Amino acid sequence: MSPMHKIARTFQRPLHLLGDWAMGWFHHIGGLGLLTWQVLVYLLPWKWNFDGPETWRTMYRVGVKSFPIVVVTAVLVGAIMVIQSGLYIEQYGAHGLLGWGAGYAILRSVGPILIGLMFSGRVGANNTAELGTMKVTDQIDALRALSIDPVAYLVMPRFMAMIVMMFLLVVVGNATALIGGALTSQFLLDVNMVLFFQSVVTYVLLEDLMHGLMKSVAFGFAIAIISCYFGLQTSGGAVGVGRAVNASVVGSAIALFAIDYAITYAAL
Amino acid sequence: MGHIEFRDIYKSFGPKHVLRGVSLNVDPGEVFFIIGQSGAGKSVLVKHLIGLLRPDSGRVLLDGVDVTDFKEKEFYPIRKRCAMVFQNSTLFDSMTLVDNVALPIRKHRDVTVKEAREMAVDKLRLVGMHTYAERFPADFGDGMRKKVAIARALTLDPEFVIFDEPTTGIDPISAAMVDKLIRHLSDNIGVTSIVISHDLRSIFGIADRIAMLYQGKLLLDGTQEDYKNSDNPIIQQFIQGQPEGPMEV
Ligand SMILES: Nc1ncnc2c1ncn2[C@@H]1O[C@H](COP(=O)(O)OP(=O)(O)OP(=O)(O)O)[C@@H](O)[C@H]1O
Ligand SMILES: [Mg+2]
Repeated sequence: MSPMHKIARTFQRPLHLLGDWAMGWFHHIGGLGLLTWQVLVYLLPWKWNFDGPETWRTMYRVGVKSFPIVVVTAVLVGAIMVIQSGLYIEQYGAHGLLGWGAGYAILRSVGPILIGLMFSGRVGANNTAELGTMKVTDQIDALRALSIDPVAYLVMPRFMAMIVMMFLLVVVGNATALIGGALTSQFLLDVNMVLFFQSVVTYVLLEDLMHGLMKSVAFGFAIAIISCYFGLQTSGGAVGVGRAVNASVVGSAIALFAIDYAITYAAL
Repeated sequence: MGHIEFRDIYKSFGPKHVLRGVSLNVDPGEVFFIIGQSGAGKSVLVKHLIGLLRPDSGRVLLDGVDVTDFKEKEFYPIRKRCAMVFQNSTLFDSMTLVDNVALPIRKHRDVTVKEAREMAVDKLRLVGMHTYAERFPADFGDGMRKKVAIARALTLDPEFVIFDEPTTGIDPISAAMVDKLIRHLSDNIGVTSIVISHDLRSIFGIADRIAMLYQGKLLLDGTQEDYKNSDNPIIQQFIQGQPEGPMEV
């Protein structure tokens, strides 16, 4: 190989990798778009297509089993928010603002995003692994061979369950985070619990709550589509399943922050 | 009714040419065996019939209807008529055996969940697995899972059934039972069966006709007698299971 050739190769290589990487991204974005489209079509009343028993099974698995971990996380989040702001509250003696500070942040952003991340790590990853294993062991093809549409049978129930459960988990998470915050303010900062809640009720608007709940629905949507997509496109055995779960969790996290940013920005 | 035709099928995966011009005709009610080495493309070929794979070129005809360019949706009615037992059974491991078998009934027949389960137990009885109805697939080995997969494939009373190695990994008694079942479906119900097998006992027990794939092409299409009398050294090596001979591995 001539020296010129070598130099050319050295420069080509990063370009090559960049190209591959970009192609990979476009491939996934196209696939995600396609799956979203299919799911939306099946939501139309006259195309309505999803499986009852599978939906209940998924609801239970997705939601009920996630409650404990969400409650624990939320209590801690509430506590942390209060301890953090407590520093300044003490300094300025603005005890009446403690509930507002913590409540505003929790309801609008911190609650949904943290619960969303937990949800994607627990439910999304689990879902990708399950669908991925089904794919590499030909169970998806077996469904098709039985004339059962994998999107209708597997994706729709998960989609519904994840959106509903993400919403409910954020509602519960918000409540427990506020309780955690209130307890912390009472016992750690000596700010009366009643004052804390009064502050929440007085200053935090219904709109703040709605804003966070809207995010929770969008997060559920994104996690459902992303985790199903990466599961269904798995290939290459156990290694492939690992790769798919990885992509699903990372992809969901990126999507959550992007959506959070977009909704927050749009609401300004 | 029940006629299958593969016309000059080519299929590659990347640089790997698996099928290089395979043509086959399967007659109604026949028990048609496909044999060949591991990796010869037997599983790949039969998946074309129900649209799980699409050929690079060539045509697939079912009862004279060209289904090659059918969309995924258009294949759904065909798959109800043409069932497939996969090589690795592919039971759904989130469900019990009876739920596995009941799933296609529940989805495609107008029955209650309870009725579907009763019908499923009947199908399990056919393969002697009804006593394990409430257990999960993970509790069983290959042989028993395969029997359940056969029961599941037969739930919609198909006109065609593809059996991908139905007796591999099964004990000789169950294998004989499966062979008998395949013969029964053909003789008494008129089901057309395509059976992929390495099991010489089944091949020379129940085959009406046998096709051998070799290096992506059809080597011989004939009856049991044609195979026994063939003077092709590759065929003789294969059906006698000789480790050495002209066959390229
Ligand atoms: N989805 C796929 N992607 C890439 N290659 C594939 C795919 N499916 C099959 N192949 C390749 O095609 C070849 C034929 O596979 P096939 O499963 O049809 O073999 P077979 O004749 O059924 O063998 P066996 O007796 O082992 O089941 C193999 O080399 C396999 O690696
Ligand atoms: Mg095979």
